Amino acid sequence: MRTLNDLRRRLTENHIWTSVFRQGYPDTPIDQSLVMTNTLLLHLNPVKVKRHTLKITYTWGLGLMAFWLFAVLVGTGVLLMFFYVPSPERAYSDISSLETSVTTGMLLRNLHRWSAHAMVLMVFLHMCRVFYTGSYKPPREFNWVIGVLLFVLTLLLSFTGYLLPWDQLSFWAITVGTNIAGYAPLVGEQMRMFLLGSKEVGSEALIRFYALHIAVLPLALTILISVHFWRIRKDGGLSAPANETSRERASRADWVN
Amino acid sequence: MEQKPHEIFPKDPRKTYGLMEMVRGTTPMADTGVEDTVMSWPHLVVMEAIAILGVSLVMLVISMVANAPLREIANPDVTENPAKAPWYFLNLQELLLHMNPSLAGVIIPTIVIAALMAIPYLDRDPRDVGIWFASKKGRAICLWSALYTAIAVVALILFDEYVSMRKLISEPEVIPGWVIPLLVMGILMGVLRLGVQRWRPSKREVVLALFTGFVVAYVILTVVGTFFRGYGMHLVLPWELPPGSVPL
Repeated sequence: MRTLNDLRRRLTENHIWTSVFRQGYPDTPIDQSLVMTNTLLLHLNPVKVKRHTLKITYTWGLGLMAFWLFAVLVGTGVLLMFFYVPSPERAYSDISSLETSVTTGMLLRNLHRWSAHAMVLMVFLHMCRVFYTGSYKPPREFNWVIGVLLFVLTLLLSFTGYLLPWDQLSFWAITVGTNIAGYAPLVGEQMRMFLLGSKEVGSEALIRFYALHIAVLPLALTILISVHFWRIRKDGGLSAPANETSRERASRADWVN
Repeated sequence: MEQKPHEIFPKDPRKTYGLMEMVRGTTPMADTGVEDTVMSWPHLVVMEAIAILGVSLVMLVISMVANAPLREIANPDVTENPAKAPWYFLNLQELLLHMNPSLAGVIIPTIVIAALMAIPYLDRDPRDVGIWFASKKGRAICLWSALYTAIAVVALILFDEYVSMRKLISEPEVIPGWVIPLLVMGILMGVLRLGVQRWRPSKREVVLALFTGFVVAYVILTVVGTFFRGYGMHLVLPWELPPGSVPL
């Protein structure tokens, strides 16, 4: 025991360690506060949370799970990019050789595919949770609007990724999907043309969907997620019944007038 | 003013404190922080870690037992039958079977997204924030709305499959394409609104009924489009689906 403590002290009580970790192990209130504000990822959370927030049956953790699935998708997606060329000549064979001749390639692709579906589901369930708990009400109106945009972006991300394996399933799904966009009154044909870069799904569509899928949409989603999280904090944390937060009591007073 | 780490409300020496009044009642906030809070570390952080690890584990297990589909190479000359959009767009594709494509594919989804965004500006009463389904009444309204919508949507799908609106009236296209669908949807929502009237609903409860109607219709259309549409997008039972017509 003494040697263990000795080791711990030698490891943590030196210049290098304290330059990285600016507080002790968080077992006192001051360190528990500092760890939350000093750590990049943890600082998204407040130092203190309402007890009500921690009830599993209140949020089911759906928003966090959707966010984590997005993180998994970025991670697996970047790995997939090493093995994939978005051209009609290469795309399909790249995916099939990923499955057969890359170590854990099949697992990588499966993770990306199923996580994408799970993310669509989680985002939708999260939207339902926020609605049914009335969490969109003042002061959180605008964050709900951002949430709806995030749902739309999630669908678009999934849709643009769907074409990339370049098999019959993806080809005809994107044909059907972009035909739907083509039915828009007045601008339908132009919109379809804009998406596909041609009259039919072909190499132009593949490169467009790829660029949207790996750069434009993930960037847009990341920016909106940042605003979404930031607004949660600015709006006083997660929603809770009105008698629990004075800020909400104050906003109720505005509302009555 | 020196604050000890465990003290939530340190005494300020520049102020005087005294007993002002005795009040009957409980003190729910005894021994808790401001607004009944706890430290995020470890309470919140542990739960977040569990959620993240749980999701990772579930995704890993699914990915080990089920392989992502990969069919033959894309071939513009071989049309798939049925040709389906990805599953989360099959609600729209399902609507497409029953009305003018502009209405089903673009106008309705645009209105739905706009309506969703408008919700917080229509219902601003903060009294039931943080309470699932707002109240017991709200729960009854949601249940009723869900049952009503489920029956109505399934009945309409079956009607259009086996009787077919377009067989009854096909000319001019504007009648089965626009007039009847708009009329049917208008009546459906009208009946939903009237149906919840007997609860004397608040604005929040009307929004609850409408949103539940949307969610149930959305889910049913997605499930029917995914698991019940076979060759030529005709209704079939899930185990009679042609191979590879579930677009996952």
